Amino acid sequence: MDNTLKVAGMRKSFGKSLLFTLPMFLITFMFMTGGKPNFSDPASGLAMLTAFLLVNVLYFFMHYTGKTDRYRAVLFIIFALSLSYTLIHNMLEVRKSMSFSQADILECKIPFCHLVIPMMILPAAFTKSIIFPGSIISGFANISSMVVLWLVATLVLGRGFCSWGCFYGGWDDGFSRIRKRPVIKKISELWKWMPFAVLLMVVLSAALTMMPTYCSWICPFKAVTEFERVTSVESATKAGIFLSLFGGLVVALPVMTKKRTQCSFLCPLGAINSLSNKITPFTVKIDKDACNECFKCVGVCPLYALTTDDIKAGKVSLFCSKCGKCVDACSRNAIHYGIRGIPSGTMKNFSRNLFLFVSFLFMAIFSSGSIINTFHGLLKLIF
Amino acid sequence: MKKVKIIAGISWAIFCLILILILFPGLNSFSGSVSKLPFMKLNPRYTGGEIANQVIQERCTLDIRKPVFNGFLKERTSGFVQLDWHGTIPEMIKDSIDYDHDGNMDFCILVDRKNSKTVLDPISKKVKGVVISTPTSYGWAVRIGLLK
Repeated sequence: MDNTLKVAGMRKSFGKSLLFTLPMFLITFMFMTGGKPNFSDPASGLAMLTAFLLVNVLYFFMHYTGKTDRYRAVLFIIFALSLSYTLIHNMLEVRKSMSFSQADILECKIPFCHLVIPMMILPAAFTKSIIFPGSIISGFANISSMVVLWLVATLVLGRGFCSWGCFYGGWDDGFSRIRKRPVIKKISELWKWMPFAVLLMVVLSAALTMMPTYCSWICPFKAVTEFERVTSVESATKAGIFLSLFGGLVVALPVMTKKRTQCSFLCPLGAINSLSNKITPFTVKIDKDACNECFKCVGVCPLYALTTDDIKAGKVSLFCSKCGKCVDACSRNAIHYGIRGIPSGTMKNFSRNLFLFVSFLFMAIFSSGSIINTFHGLLKLIF
Repeated sequence: MKKVKIIAGISWAIFCLILILILFPGLNSFSGSVSKLPFMKLNPRYTGGEIANQVIQERCTLDIRKPVFNGFLKERTSGFVQLDWHGTIPEMIKDSIDYDHDGNMDFCILVDRKNSKTVLDPISKKVKGVVISTPTSYGWAVRIGLLK
């Protein structure tokens, strides 16, 4: 193995980075302002401008520094926090509470989220109906638009959706970055198959009960979005499960392991997204000629997607969420973004530029509404 | 073969780029098309079922919905019927319901809205109990558990 191989960095010059940021600048400007920035309400205008600058500065630094994950994570974590803020703020304004009532269920007013999708499939196929008390087409987070967003994102990004589009992933991603070193260093790799077991369980139980069982009983993110009003032993048990799983899998374990444990061990949608990694054009590739098998990438992977065997075999596993942590950790640029069909070790810059543009654009536009709303809320609090 | 693979890979990636570019401007249109798919309708377990009968009272209207027994592969033995009162609803609702339209009353229901109390007087043996009784944005809704 050639250990003196020259590192081919992904850094760009200031001017070149600006040039690469220009398309993102123009497209996000059009989406966030509709082509006509409106400063008639200073707080709204300032919130929009801050969000716009934030996404473009982050994207610029991805090109300028050649690092991906640290800038992705900033937007990803802000997205998670701002979505929860937006949801909670709306609920407190409309319902004066984070919980929803039986009336909200009866009137099908529950916002839909992508985690319901695996449970919809069998009932939709066999009963030609959706088992969720939400709106099909109208209103906030309606079923049709969430299905379209998830379908396209999954087709394009595969499990990359979990690191570039999921508005919950930022929670455990954020907590996994709090400590410098992990307290728990070894967890059996078998656990990473757990989401497939959860997927099977929730798909079957949802079909049998005609109820989105994961949302009703398991989802840890109910703790930071909305949950059923506690009026009985059953609803109190549910609230207890939500809070325990959030505390355990989203806060405590990520802090102690520096891994995204909820995404790795529980999320049923992550299991489906892993399978979609087989069709997406963008992948993470290992350039075996450049790799000196230091296995730094294995240690930093937040989703247990890389093993020493994977590195030796020159392939990343289907669990990869394309977060870029391993790519950033590799000083030899041996692990890199790639495009299906292009041999590893070639066209690294082209593949990275294309992948970053597609994935970051999706996250920037998808997150912009809730980020602007959050900045607006914060500005109103301050002034 | 290697070249073909590279061209196919890049073409697939460019197609995905275009897909992301048109996704957000076209979201309403795409969602509209998806919403028209045959399975994109809410299950009656959530909507409460179709309205089977409307009873127009003095100042309010009572919708009696079709009993819902939907299951995954076949109908279930237990289900519910949903009643919705809307309009200017009195403080005390008292109605006798024939949900299966056989000419005989199946249950009497009394809703004390002020104290959120619901009393069910089952006449038919198929009537099990009150599943939900709640104020709604349009008035009041009750679900009564049924046996098939």
